[in-house]
Amino acid sequence: MTLELRSINKRFGDRDVLRNLDLSVADGECVALLGPSGCGKSTALRLIAGLDDPDQGSISINGENVVAIPAERRRVGMVFQSYALFPHLNVRKNLELGLRIRGSRAAERDERISNILEVLQLQNQAEQLPSQLSGGQRQRVALARALLRDPLVYLLDEPMSNLDAQLREELRPELKRLMIGGSQPVVYVTHDQQEAMALADRIALMRNGRIEQIGTPQELYHRPETVVVAQFIGRPQMNLLKPQNGVMVGIRPEDIRLDQQGVSCRLLSREWHGASQMLLVESERGPLRIVCAGDQTISEQIQVNWERSDEHQFDLDSGRRLSD
Amino acid sequence: MALIFGWPLLRYAWLSGHADSVLTGLVPVANGGANWLRLLSDQRFWVDALQTARFGVVSVGIELILAMAIALLLDQRWRGRGAVRALTLMPWALPTTMMALGWRWIFNTPYGPIEQLAGSLGAGPLNLLSAPSLTWLVTVLADVWKTTPFIALILLAGLQTIPDDLYGAFRLEGGTSVQALRRITLPLLTPYILLSLLFRLAQAFGVFDLIQVLTGGGPAGSTESLALYAYLNAMRFLDFGYSATVMLGGFVLLMALIGLGALILRLSGLIRPLQT
Repeated sequence: MTLELRSINKRFGDRDVLRNLDLSVADGECVALLGPSGCGKSTALRLIAGLDDPDQGSISINGENVVAIPAERRRVGMVFQSYALFPHLNVRKNLELGLRIRGSRAAERDERISNILEVLQLQNQAEQLPSQLSGGQRQRVALARALLRDPLVYLLDEPMSNLDAQLREELRPELKRLMIGGSQPVVYVTHDQQEAMALADRIALMRNGRIEQIGTPQELYHRPETVVVAQFIGRPQMNLLKPQNGVMVGIRPEDIRLDQQGVSCRLLSREWHGASQMLLVESERGPLRIVCAGDQTISEQIQVNWERSDEHQFDLDSGRRLSD
Repeated sequence: MALIFGWPLLRYAWLSGHADSVLTGLVPVANGGANWLRLLSDQRFWVDALQTARFGVVSVGIELILAMAIALLLDQRWRGRGAVRALTLMPWALPTTMMALGWRWIFNTPYGPIEQLAGSLGAGPLNLLSAPSLTWLVTVLADVWKTTPFIALILLAGLQTIPDDLYGAFRLEGGTSVQALRRITLPLLTPYILLSLLFRLAQAFGVFDLIQVLTGGGPAGSTESLALYAYLNAMRFLDFGYSATVMLGGFVLLMALIGLGALILRLSGLIRPLQT
């Protein structure tokens, strides 16, 4: 385990931002901190970087406690949501600044920078200012800067949230190729569950300063420990049926199928997505979202069914999963 | 613009080509540039020009440094910052005449607190308002006290346009906060520094009220500014033609000084951040 957070507490004023946070990230592993805004995920990242100090708890990198080490000597490569490129310096000087400060020689500097510009296809932008670059190019400069840091840990704070959907999909493999799966642990903060599922080895779903559940994307999808996790992971959202006897039953829209012998429902609305379509129906157990094949013909009255084994059962009061 | 700035300027230019004083019965009579020839050989004009430049450059220089320190301090997060911010602006909000009277009292010999203090330490009397080599420093002090907050306000506004993430990114690159000041803060603040320099230099070159009240240009003309000299020509010597010439001459010198400054900045590459 090369990155380890132990019982981290952090308050801002009278608000607990992180409560007793534990997290370990192994060499080459990518852990996504996933959650709604205000859940503490960005704060956790800033604590690891050393830009804020925890009130309690320890952070260690390669077994060494780094809490007392200032940010400038912590050797983390961070990509900011805003990219945080220096606006008065062109791309080359943006990349050069850190190397210069850390005392690398001119010849070595030039070589590393021309290498990284080539890898990220930024050769033609080297003399341009950040304001002259497109969003995707700025993002790649920010990646290049983090790579040049020779970091012990990579920290990515919503690195793609300022890009449009198509560019995001194009950049994901790029990100995987350059940072994820190397020898360093990677912590990836995002509020986009799809991005977390696509990139992370494990997802830590956070809420109110705590980790609600941590596990592989498959674990979170197939065995959500709480209703919150069940609702956050998977699109469209999991259906929650009307509670019975203190038990709430959840069923994923994609686990429901059309079945003549099933529960009858009335169609409320229908979204067609091409390969699939999403139906919203009213049933005796409440409204249901259903995903089915795009070419299926749908009438006003349909019958649906699902396997009992696909049901997720939660305690109504605590919201915790009931063992099955 | 043309009406409130251009017209008076043209009127001055026209007036500077005429004799218009008690000798002409206060009727403008064209005198073919005699005013300008007189200006070139008028020692008092050139001495005043130097004194004005000295006052402007020294006080604006000190103000800039102090204002930078204050702005950096006020940009940090600490308890009571809001109240201090408001308090800092107080001297600037005070009418110049009132605060100049205040300073005149503070430096009064023998009753002012400075002389009292010096006397009790056995160092007095200092006669700071009647020592030709020192009194100009008192005018600088009063000006610094009054207008530093103004520059601090402009610089603070500039500081707040710099996103926190930039400092974070800079630290993660291995830079210390002292290095950040030079590599991030100053370059990004340059437009604001130049703006306040321009404002303040133009203002300092026209200084009148502060000096009129505090020293009246004395002792022995050692604090007299160009504006004061122009005023004396018009209101005491009733020589309106020459007063206009002095005014315009000062204006030309100020433009030349600003042009020179801009040239130096452009050549040194400092002005580049303005263009992005």
